[in-house]
Amino acid sequence: MELLVKNVQKSYAKVTAIKNLTFKVKQGEIFALLGPNGAGKSSLVRMLTGFTSPDSGNISLTIDGQTHASIPSYTLGYLPEDRGLYPEKTVKKNLTYFAQLNGVDKATALEQAKYWLERFDLLDRLDAQLKTLSKGNQQKVQLITAVIHQPKWVILDEPFSGLDPINQEKVVTFLSELKAKGMTVILSAHQMSMVEKLADRMLLMNLGETVLYGNLEDIQKQVGSTTQLKAKFEGEISREQLELQFNNTEYILAEEKTVSLNLTAQQSINDALSKLTSLGTLVELHSIKMDLHQLYLNAIAKHGALKNE
Amino acid sequence: MNKMTRKQQVWLVTSWEFMHFFKWKQEIISKLILISIALVVMLWQQIKDDQLTLYKVAVPANTTQFKDSGQFKFSLSNKSFEVLKLELAEEGRWDAVLSETPATNSIKKITIYSKDKQSWLNDLTLTLNQQSTLQYASSLGLAQEQLTLLNQSASFENKYLDDNIKSENSPGRTTAITMLVILSVGIFTSFGQLFVSITGEKQQRVTEQLYACMSPQTWIDGKIFGQMLHSFKAMITMMITGLLAYAFTTIVVSNKMLNLSIIDWSLLPWLLPFAIVGVYLCTAFMAAIAAAIDDPNHSAKTSIMLLPLLPMLLALITMDSPSGWALSFLSYFPLTAFAAMPVKMSVIDVPLWQPLLSLLLTAILCFWVRTSAGNLFKMGMSMYGKEPSLKDMVMWMLHKN
Repeated sequence: MELLVKNVQKSYAKVTAIKNLTFKVKQGEIFALLGPNGAGKSSLVRMLTGFTSPDSGNISLTIDGQTHASIPSYTLGYLPEDRGLYPEKTVKKNLTYFAQLNGVDKATALEQAKYWLERFDLLDRLDAQLKTLSKGNQQKVQLITAVIHQPKWVILDEPFSGLDPINQEKVVTFLSELKAKGMTVILSAHQMSMVEKLADRMLLMNLGETVLYGNLEDIQKQVGSTTQLKAKFEGEISREQLELQFNNTEYILAEEKTVSLNLTAQQSINDALSKLTSLGTLVELHSIKMDLHQLYLNAIAKHGALKNE
Repeated sequence: MNKMTRKQQVWLVTSWEFMHFFKWKQEIISKLILISIALVVMLWQQIKDDQLTLYKVAVPANTTQFKDSGQFKFSLSNKSFEVLKLELAEEGRWDAVLSETPATNSIKKITIYSKDKQSWLNDLTLTLNQQSTLQYASSLGLAQEQLTLLNQSASFENKYLDDNIKSENSPGRTTAITMLVILSVGIFTSFGQLFVSITGEKQQRVTEQLYACMSPQTWIDGKIFGQMLHSFKAMITMMITGLLAYAFTTIVVSNKMLNLSIIDWSLLPWLLPFAIVGVYLCTAFMAAIAAAIDDPNHSAKTSIMLLPLLPMLLALITMDSPSGWALSFLSYFPLTAFAAMPVKMSVIDVPLWQPLLSLLLTAILCFWVRTSAGNLFKMGMSMYGKEPSLKDMVMWMLHKN
């Protein structure tokens, strides 16, 4: 059971939100959708949930021999970007109502509500009005709403936003538990460190297009650079000197004294170091293994630059 | 997790919607007030029945004599007026004492003395007046029939060549007007609440979460049914309150027997289906409007909300010309039929096919408005907070997405 997205295109008025997007989500994995604001993640999520349909291309998910053009509501758990429940109602009423709407009987719904509230240290707020909870706790209740009916497919749009680091870690544990329960999680987020910990595979989007796609290793290969060397010189360095030594390497020259080099897996640090020392006297040198955050920034910058050319 | 059927989801949303606006405390208080009024009416009736033979009226010897009548017993007394007045004030032996002033300009003046103001004094005055008139007619040598003729020399009645028009005395007119008033209460109850409910949920951003569980049509259907239940609750409460108010004014204030012949019982079975389609149509219409409103504080579309008042007003205005083209047209026109046809039926006898056709046309419109509301909501979701133009709305209602 895989979710297949093939050559999907979507426009709103004169804006093309999604351009020829192709990827697949495997059952039981945590799949991350990454990209800056306006990259088209929410448009994509809305098509996956069936709120909107692609203008061209197709989305397909086969369940029990039946092919669906989006994730069917009876197997979907969803945390929308636009959060909201019934603030006047109690936590219990909110959770049991949504569970019942998804086909869970009241007793099981209550049992599940208590289970997940306990996991988030919120069990004592079961009978409290939702509006009396802090914003972060309301967010946790909304997360529980998305999974209380134990769906097979879960889409979480920005599950970490509005949470402090401690609660972000709780959400990481929560998502790992969902995976352990056999749920497939599609996650849209900006917190790269969290995504790096969790995601089996990911899709990095920019301006509605695929920039990077695959697992972390695949992405590192696609980016090419895995290590960044940051060197600070005593004197000024000219762009011509740099170009002469590093014509095959990505670099950034800041304030005429600081150089950042993105090294590929094939390039040795020693080789780069000898070239750097030939340019002048080094006063500082840092070697950084590029994390997802760095890969993301580099890839988006590169994609943006290509688009502007 | 079981796959939830559409019917189950609609019922769940219906009950959620109903209970969302159902306040137990408020309901208990209002129903207790109604029960209290009903008890007062019943007790008053009982007290009144018990008191029927208690009114004893003392008539001094020098005063015109009256015959016992109904609840009044007139007793001739040889005691002076002053003594009788004392007995009235201190001993409670009498309920009233009469005193007659010598006639001036041939009109005698009878004064009724009582301890305090009582509602039965009006009836006593009426009885005394009737007996005085008869006594005077007798003194003139007039018979009872002559006196009746003198009071009313001719009677007038309207007759129409169109045999279908009911008589002026038919209770249908009162029933129809009452129905329109009650229907207005029901419609505006659901109208207001549904507007608050839909725009409220949109503002609380709960709609996208709901949309993930069910189709927009299921959600809209549940909302319409939930608010319809509120409408009927309001209409039933209004009916009971109206009946109690009528009973109160009749029994307690006017001291009369309750007269339920003001209700046209033959019209009642027709009023229910027309009330159902009428409330459904207006509630679905409201759902369609609210589904297209993103921010109720800054929307120009809220002015459309007064539209459901029109069918009721038009039906009332055209009521006096039941055979005219206006009421005939309105009674079939699906937007007004739910109000106009019962009004027409109250003043004119119509063949069976007419209300049935009227109901059918309204039901078809109801179905279209309800699916349009679902479509409007679905399309509104893709507007990302922008409000659709009237042109967009018309296109969506025509299902040209």
